[in-house]
Amino acid sequence: MDRRRVNGPPGGTTPPCYASTSSGKTHPSSKRTRGANEIRKIFLKTGLTPSASGSAYFELETPPTNHSNSLTNRTPALKLTCTVHGPRPLPRSAPFSPQLLLSTRVKFAPFAARQRRGYIPDSSERDLAAHLETALRGVLIGERWPKSGVDVVITVLEGEEDCPWHALAAGNQNGRTGGWGMMSILSGCITVASAALTDAGIDCVDVVIGGVAAIVRQPAAPAQLVLDPCPSDHEEIIAACVIGYLQSRDEVTETWAKGNITASSDGMGTTPMGFDALVDQAVEAAVAARRVLVEAIREGTEAKIQGSQIDFHAIGAALNIKENAARMRFYRLRKAIEEGEPGATPTKAATTPTKRKKDQANSDEGSAKKVKDEEVVDEAEGGEEGEGN
Amino acid sequence: MAPTAQPTILSPSELSYLYTSLSLNPPIRPDARSPTSFRPLVAETDLLPTANGSARLCFADGTEAIVGVKGEVERTGGVGKQIGIREDDVEMGGIEGEEGTGGAGGEDWWVEVTVDMPGQRDDDAMVVFLAQMIHEGLVADGGLRARLVINRRWHWRLYIDILLLSPPHTYPLPLLSLTAHLALLSTCLPAPVAGLEKDDDPIFNDDWDAAIPLYPSTPPSSKAKANLSAARPPITLLVISVGDNIFFDPSHAELAVADAVVAVTVASSPSSTDDLNLLAVRTIDPPSRLSSSAAEMGQAVEEGAWKPKKGGMSRTVLRKMVGMCVARGGVGEEVLGGLEGFT
Repeated sequence: MDRRRVNGPPGGTTPPCYASTSSGKTHPSSKRTRGANEIRKIFLKTGLTPSASGSAYFELETPPTNHSNSLTNRTPALKLTCTVHGPRPLPRSAPFSPQLLLSTRVKFAPFAARQRRGYIPDSSERDLAAHLETALRGVLIGERWPKSGVDVVITVLEGEEDCPWHALAAGNQNGRTGGWGMMSILSGCITVASAALTDAGIDCVDVVIGGVAAIVRQPAAPAQLVLDPCPSDHEEIIAACVIGYLQSRDEVTETWAKGNITASSDGMGTTPMGFDALVDQAVEAAVAARRVLVEAIREGTEAKIQGSQIDFHAIGAALNIKENAARMRFYRLRKAIEEGEPGATPTKAATTPTKRKKDQANSDEGSAKKVKDEEVVDEAEGGEEGEGN
Repeated sequence: MAPTAQPTILSPSELSYLYTSLSLNPPIRPDARSPTSFRPLVAETDLLPTANGSARLCFADGTEAIVGVKGEVERTGGVGKQIGIREDDVEMGGIEGEEGTGGAGGEDWWVEVTVDMPGQRDDDAMVVFLAQMIHEGLVADGGLRARLVINRRWHWRLYIDILLLSPPHTYPLPLLSLTAHLALLSTCLPAPVAGLEKDDDPIFNDDWDAAIPLYPSTPPSSKAKANLSAARPPITLLVISVGDNIFFDPSHAELAVADAVVAVTVASSPSSTDDLNLLAVRTIDPPSRLSSSAAEMGQAVEEGAWKPKKGGMSRTVLRKMVGMCVARGGVGEEVLGGLEGFT
């Protein structure tokens, strides 16, 4: 005991926390405005981080609220940025690896949610990273890069919270459990990582897309199956499921379901709500998100093609054809790829000149290849591309 | 995340033999078990004198785990651990919540699961993944959380410490989950003698013989219906698929050729006619993708050499796996029944 100074109270104090002036009941709680089988609008753009070999930015639409003046009523949003570094050689000290080593990292920015996050990843972030790795490992064609590694780093700039702030303040959590927001975040992580991997030009068997579905219940209503749940919109979430879906193969690389799944089918009668229905609805959500993903990849690739200047004169001289003929071949090839039919891989006649063109103008070939990567997921086709990388 | 610590030592032709025999109809497992039968195991409970509950489980392949469960009494409000504002502070402001957080049904973080594996760092992906998976199953139905409430201001905090004693030969998830199940079944918390009213400080009986089991073997008749659903802690089963066949309790060699690995958490259901409650499903990265043969065979598939499958698993297989676990009279019920015998 220090007798020379004025001591604080023994036993420590807790910092004062003031209750909100308005009770929770006066706030109109946010409600889901879209239909049960409608997902939120997605913004996705690739190639925003120039220093990374591939990158993408993902954002979920935040619906405007009529009481946006209050900080406590802000609708949670989801903003993710993903960078892919590599494939790059492993350090000399690392043991031999016959295939591409994937390492994933998911980190919340300290300012991502109302509660500040530290800089050291906590267990929920590492858990997300492990889920993401499972989702991506299945689609990577890893054996094309022996002795190399790729890092997928996702930063959550703004993360969803589990329940609205005023509900917390009023203490009426109704025994809500945490972690539902994590499922939406994982689904976004899978989609954004997939876009960034494609942007980096890493061979995959297909793009993997995340989808979420949940069984929710409003106070005076029967349980309901919804796509893409926003945790703050629903009074009670009974069960939720995230999947990583490969549409062209109709396969699932990642499943994460939790909650009281079978029990929720009790008393439903008309619509079964077991695990099967949950997975099917999550697939629906993924299929809807895939269109956004494919469009974003196409836009990103087109931007790259526009950016590169092609010297058709030099190509023509090298191939002993006229300049216009070289240009025509290029656009015909590009159009064939953009038509997007799986069979529209360039014919032999078209491929050969392009291969030779590569020596002259390797920049444009590089970009055209990107288009092929995502449209044509044939392994044999990807094999020749892998060498060019 | 590498599910197994060391890569498989089997040659490509051995893997191919294994894969073919497992995908036959009916399948032939290396140890001649049926697809749903488990390996024998040795278990004992209540072996740690200083823990509220404990168990030791030993699988036939030599993997062994010890789980200790400890309980601590903690104040429900106070310094917020995750959320700054809690019930107490609200009352200070003069707003009386008719039902505080404590009365509602508890919080997830009252149950803390840690996994310790020899030779693995605490922040290793596998350790984190395992701990999260076991925690997720325990808190999923809210039954355990609700039991931890003492009164409005006090609650039990449960620490479940899982210690793997042997090096992780196979993916240790079923071992750890079953051991945690047994430890929770043997857990007793001191019986309160006073202070169960709204917000008194609780006083406990210091006679250990009077302690109340966390999971009573026969649910009290007064609230039998409500409590039966969570009368037993959940278990997590590891299921693999090879071709169209589905196997439970895979050995190390079988995991090496698995097309897909899924962890399914189930708990007993309230009525005896329904299926079991499904609490969580997670896919796990099959270790075959990390084996060296995955790359060597990459160029051309030779006759007699096996190459792991790319892509994921089909939804039909996933459904079949989950269905086999939860079905009445299925594997999940059999395992739950078998574990009952230990206590």
